[in-house]
Amino acid sequence: MKKTALPFVLVLLVIACGPSQPPRPPDVGEGSPAAGGTVVVGLLSDVQSWNPYLCEDLGTANLLALVYPSLAVEQPDYHQHPPSFEPALARSWTWSEDHLELVLSLDPSARWSDGVPITSADVVFTWRAQTSLDVAWLFSAAKDGIDAVEAVDEHTVQVTFNHRYPYQLMDLNDGPVIPAHAWSAIPFADWHDVDWREHVVAGGPFTLAGHTPQQQIILEGNPGFDRPGLPRLNRLVFRIVPSDRSLVTQLLAGGLDFVRSVPASEVQRIQAADTLELVVYDGRSYTHICWNTERPQLADPAVRRALTMAIDRQTLIDVVYAGFARIGIGPVLSSFWAFNHDLEPLPFDPAAARALLADAGWRDTNGDGIVDRDGRPLTIELLAPAENEVRQDLALLVQEDLRRVGVAASPRIVEWGTLLAALDDGDFDGVINLWEEPTQIDLGEIWHSPPPGEATFNFGRYRNPEVDRLLEEVAGIADFADQKPILDRIQELIVADQPYTFLVENVQLSAHSTRLAGAEINAATPYFNADEWFVTTGTSE
Amino acid sequence: MRRLIVRRLALLVPMVWLVATLTFIVVAAAPGTYADVVDHPGLTTDQRQAIRDRYGLDQPLLSQYLHWLGSVATGDLGVSFVYKEPVSRLLARALPPTLLLGGAALLLDLVLGLAAAVAAVRRPRGWFDRVTTILGLGVYGLPSFWIAGLAVLLFAVLLGWFPASHMRSVGADELSFLARLADLVRHLVLPAACLGLVAAAGTARYLRSTLLDVRGERYILAARARGLSERRVLWVHTLRPALLPVVTLLGLSLPVLVSGSVVIESIFSWPGMGLTLLQAAHARDVPVIMGITMVGAVAVLLGNLTADVLYAVVDPRAREESR
Repeated sequence: MKKTALPFVLVLLVIACGPSQPPRPPDVGEGSPAAGGTVVVGLLSDVQSWNPYLCEDLGTANLLALVYPSLAVEQPDYHQHPPSFEPALARSWTWSEDHLELVLSLDPSARWSDGVPITSADVVFTWRAQTSLDVAWLFSAAKDGIDAVEAVDEHTVQVTFNHRYPYQLMDLNDGPVIPAHAWSAIPFADWHDVDWREHVVAGGPFTLAGHTPQQQIILEGNPGFDRPGLPRLNRLVFRIVPSDRSLVTQLLAGGLDFVRSVPASEVQRIQAADTLELVVYDGRSYTHICWNTERPQLADPAVRRALTMAIDRQTLIDVVYAGFARIGIGPVLSSFWAFNHDLEPLPFDPAAARALLADAGWRDTNGDGIVDRDGRPLTIELLAPAENEVRQDLALLVQEDLRRVGVAASPRIVEWGTLLAALDDGDFDGVINLWEEPTQIDLGEIWHSPPPGEATFNFGRYRNPEVDRLLEEVAGIADFADQKPILDRIQELIVADQPYTFLVENVQLSAHSTRLAGAEINAATPYFNADEWFVTTGTSE
Repeated sequence: MRRLIVRRLALLVPMVWLVATLTFIVVAAAPGTYADVVDHPGLTTDQRQAIRDRYGLDQPLLSQYLHWLGSVATGDLGVSFVYKEPVSRLLARALPPTLLLGGAALLLDLVLGLAAAVAAVRRPRGWFDRVTTILGLGVYGLPSFWIAGLAVLLFAVLLGWFPASHMRSVGADELSFLARLADLVRHLVLPAACLGLVAAAGTARYLRSTLLDVRGERYILAARARGLSERRVLWVHTLRPALLPVVTLLGLSLPVLVSGSVVIESIFSWPGMGLTLLQAAHARDVPVIMGITMVGAVAVLLGNLTADVLYAVVDPRAREESR
């Protein structure tokens, strides 16, 4: 028995180490945007559900946007002005004079992957699902401004809004259109019990060809997609890799073609590889220290300003981010249209920080190197998530900077769930955290005084009646131009109060193999023009 | 023997219940819930409440526990919060990759461990013994994530001999059966080697020490005095009794075989129990955490039972004690 098994094992090993590879899809000419090929994208987590209204994470929503059609495509132009939209399933739209009614004309040639036409019935059914209490879509608040979605005829839809506001089209477009003919037979109340993999009917550029949970998702070009010649790729494969570092390693090993988010610490490895290209662009996130303004030692804005001025943020950028970040200024990113360009970052000035602390009554009276007031030293516990090395490094460097001005900061690294619970309960001094900003400017979620007894994202319990008043005022203004001066004033007040130390605005780093071409990578939409991607030479594994 | 098995099997149910209950308490005591993980700006108070209601997170702890216990008693492990599918289906999918990886690693562990130990004791303190001692201690002392990282860098990135991760290549479904098998083996080599080499280092050290002890026994001297060849003395008279402790090691390996290695499965994106557990813990996916813990507890108990039974089968003294 043993004698017969050994050669078999040896043969297997020889085969395994040999050059055997899966068949490669046909190559296309170098640089030419021809059809064909496979691109492999790295993904941190698997798809939660193939029904876009049952998933609870943005990663899934981004991927499903390739499978289900959108009414319009948000353009990455939020730097200059609020995002504009290009036609997609809706070929055109017209507003009523009072801007409360919108009539959409759907593309009459659009088809689902099973050949059934995409009609206004699908759009109406989608709205019913989005607002159904049984479905309980997590992002249904986007539809609060919509009173009705009605089919005028097979390819015309009328949408009625209950008030005029700046993001009407954006809110209407939130969430893809789903197939009424295939899904309406399943009652909304049963949706949570259905395995949706078996019910995928695509209307976007790609359709589902295979899904091995925790391993990979294979999308193939949707033959019913109505833009001629698109998508160019035969297959778009998503490989699930559960860590940032492993994603880069697999990119280097040739197993992946595209990784959307690369840690700055990996930039050198990517730049050293001939087969890879690094893409650097403005991100939509900022890393900050959220101060608990209800803590006695952190209640005074002057103290919080002193803490910010004691931190050498340029050194943080150089050391932790390898230079790929910008000093944070305020609650609106400097790359957004709504940013107040009169604002400057608070300077790094330890002497001025010490003076501010002294003015607030914090002096080193006992010579131990730590400032104190009423006999109590100025101590701060700084939480950082165990899953994020960057924020842990920041905590250590911030601790050293604060020590130089007499503030005893002690970093505590905690598991993510523990950190979230501390934020919810307000049980912290300072937390190194990150916010990813939507392209829809809504400062109220984070900066309005927390409603008593309710969950809030104003984790630091920041309160400023003037900010509250302006936030309420801006929410009722329909025109972006009229909103801007008020948004500017809100930013001034928040920067003066420093409820956060705005550490850095993150620069987004993506990396792709040189064989991937045609990709327009931006911070607004993860797979923005995936239907136009193509491969130049060779293919991935 | 039969009495031993029946007695231990009878203990299985209360022991699994105890482990699962303790796990439930620990998970409940950990800060944060799935509702916190999926929370985001834009959710209304009603929506937050709806999430808590949907997953029963607002129920009193005792009520949650009794509900879970009632479901488990009827064979229902619940539904994953994250993937919205039955936990039993998730585990049924995660178990085969873990068994494959664990089995390959165990095979490597036993073959390499045994070979190194036998070669080393042929000439105790000879050059081979010294080299394997140093190498073995070095490998055993290194953290598995470091060894795995190095292996990926060397064999996947620099040399390109093996894939850096996953169980199959893109497009493997289109290959012939043999080519698909070879593809699977290529993907298995690095993770199995990382798990198996570390374990083999331990097994080799353990077995070397036992072999040296047995070599000093008087019946070995008697065997040599009878003029038996050195090969027969080693393979028949020394190795057989020295292998007894390995039986215990085998039994103790069963839980790792079934529960998977969180570190190795994460690094190599191996879709097994370890990776599933890690992701469930991060997402506070309580039904999945509980399901994997139950499977792990059963594996530990069955592993111990198997070890005891095997021990009793091969060693008459143990059989006497178990009566």
